[in-house]
Amino acid sequence: MREGELSKGRLALLLNLPALAGLLLILAYPIAFAGYLSLHTVSIRQLRSGELPFAGLANFARLSEDPLFWLALRHTLVFVAASVVLEMVIGLAIALVISDERVWLSRLTRVLILIPWAVPPVVNGLLWSFIVNAQFGYLNRALYKLGLISDYVNWLGHPWLAMATVVAAYVWRTTPFNILLYHAALQGIPAQVYEAAAVDGASPGQSLRLITLPLLRPVVAVTLILRTTFSFMVFDEILAITQGGPGNDTWVAAWYTYRRAFQPPFDIGLGAASAWVLAVMVGLAALVYVRLVYRRVEYA
Amino acid sequence: MRRSTHSSTSIARRRFVQGSVAAATLGMVPRSVAAQAAGPWATRPAGNPPPLTFVVWQYGKIYDQIGKQFEQDWSVKLNQIIEPNVEPQVAKLTAMYAAGDPVDVSQAPVQYLSSYIDQGIAAPIDGLPGVEQYVKDFTPFTRAIAQRDGKTWGLPYFSTVWAFIYNDELLTKAGFKGKPFSSYPELIEQAKKDGVAKYPILWIAGAGFEQLPGTWFNLTWNRGGVIFDKQLNLQLGAGSVARETLKWWQSTFKEELADPNSLNLRFIPACKAFNAGQHVYLGTLHHYYISLINDQAQSPIAGKGRVLGLPGDGKTIGYTMLYFLTSATKNREWAWKLLQYLGGRTKNGEYTQAQRLAQDAMLASGYTPVMESELLRRAWAKWADVPTVLDVFRKATNFAEVVPAVYQPWYPRWSDAINVELTACLSGKITADQACDNMITALATAKRA
Repeated sequence: MREGELSKGRLALLLNLPALAGLLLILAYPIAFAGYLSLHTVSIRQLRSGELPFAGLANFARLSEDPLFWLALRHTLVFVAASVVLEMVIGLAIALVISDERVWLSRLTRVLILIPWAVPPVVNGLLWSFIVNAQFGYLNRALYKLGLISDYVNWLGHPWLAMATVVAAYVWRTTPFNILLYHAALQGIPAQVYEAAAVDGASPGQSLRLITLPLLRPVVAVTLILRTTFSFMVFDEILAITQGGPGNDTWVAAWYTYRRAFQPPFDIGLGAASAWVLAVMVGLAALVYVRLVYRRVEYA
Repeated sequence: MRRSTHSSTSIARRRFVQGSVAAATLGMVPRSVAAQAAGPWATRPAGNPPPLTFVVWQYGKIYDQIGKQFEQDWSVKLNQIIEPNVEPQVAKLTAMYAAGDPVDVSQAPVQYLSSYIDQGIAAPIDGLPGVEQYVKDFTPFTRAIAQRDGKTWGLPYFSTVWAFIYNDELLTKAGFKGKPFSSYPELIEQAKKDGVAKYPILWIAGAGFEQLPGTWFNLTWNRGGVIFDKQLNLQLGAGSVARETLKWWQSTFKEELADPNSLNLRFIPACKAFNAGQHVYLGTLHHYYISLINDQAQSPIAGKGRVLGLPGDGKTIGYTMLYFLTSATKNREWAWKLLQYLGGRTKNGEYTQAQRLAQDAMLASGYTPVMESELLRRAWAKWADVPTVLDVFRKATNFAEVVPAVYQPWYPRWSDAINVELTACLSGKITADQACDNMITALATAKRA
């Protein structure tokens, strides 16, 4: 190191400072402010006046006593489990197919596969609300014409059907993200690895299980973390398709937070507490994934 | 300035004729309008304010029209913030208010007004020029909604009442030509004999503030009950009218007289489903939806829909939504001027917006002179038998008479809870007794929260 030259560590810090400052402003400040709000009694009136009485952990206590919050959490966990599993399985299956040298796909098809990812979430929700409409929806019409149903199905009128509809709408939009990452990762696995396995007599199934999946672990970990995080925060599809209904059967945590904070009686403190609980859950899930799934991969 | 036709002995014949025509014309205009054409609404407030801001949810092009008229009449710019529907409008208004942005006028769904008052967003209008005359013109249940704690909280956006609608062609096919039900046993009798529809009854039973609960409240009120008494005690105990009504309502689903899809249908989707011509009765919903059902452009059963008041003595519920002045306004006099354009009289003394809404969308007015006007009768005749609809209005009571708790800050939470219980009950998951017991428990939770 020459005199006057920065050490590696200092240089790294310096180069990262702009990004860190941005993250602090855009992410850390709102999160910290939400934490501050969650410890105070906050409504619209108080927010405007700037006088926020300290409430300690009262908002969290109220949250723990609200059966609707626990119901929303349960629904969130169901939603996350169903959507993440489907995104992973469908995403991987499609990525494997489009990465296979024997499968020819036009550029147009590749673009079409990615299009749902480009659809804004709330627009996606509206599209699906039209598709599954009990009276005029295309889904009922198609199933009826194919003779698969004898009467129109009220997709949004039954608890599990409504949840399944929201999951389907969400997975349709988000799966291309996984396809993209898996496809890129698959391209990075050297062909020689498969050739060596084939010479050793490995079947395609064994290659998938013993080579492809282990080598995809880092990207699987990344997609698991990202998809779980985003699934925990699902909101737009709920807003556009079910608005939490029928009854409270599709209330999820983000919907609960929104309703508590931004609808009368505007309990912003409680909404902030709920958002914080959600953030902690997401953080814990990410930690678990990193510890259990993430491994560095090196091609020997 | 008006000249007297009797002030001069040398009066010209032409001027006499002109004066007579003018006098005769004035006689045709509703008296209150003619007498007040030069009222306080025609007076310009002091100063030239910066652009005035209002935050509303969209309804056709009414805000473009009235906004242009305001700008032309007073040369004051408007900042129109028009959200696609209620929820984003509430979020926008509250966010702007909390952030200290200027908002002069806004509007409130009936169930939110109390929260707006409680949060200090809405400001009373008492003492502003012309308020007393507006209040005098209010219909009785508009007055009941707009005035509370001795203060007046806004001017009416529109009024509505709940009614049934029936398909006249199907009713005739079922053998009940010109004889829609006049009692609940008769409704069941007709539905059982019907034979022309798989499910003769389509209820408005989709979850919401006024859909699923509204139908139950209305049926309960019509049968002589209330949901809360004046002291805000819940009236859902054993043997209560509300509980018995719920049992009866559930039975219409159990006996497969009511379409199970009702549980997923709020007002407009229910009208569209009814327009498919598969149901005899649709109920209970705002009177103006008959204009959707009898609209040639969008309804296959156009011309066959009829409004039907509730059975027995016809008691039903209704409400008026309000525009209100916000406490965030920087110029109260000019904000009041804008509020009048949205919910009151324009410079010419007309209830322009109310008349337009009545003509274009069959919305009723919170003002008696508009409700009694020939203009309204002529406009509504396109869609419905006007005397029948007006009779429903005469028998209507303010929603809050049946559910006085609607003004409580905890009411939205309880409303969420009862939607769950009512849905579970009507879909047969729990009994009406269980649903009512759960709603009683939910009240304590809602109040505590």
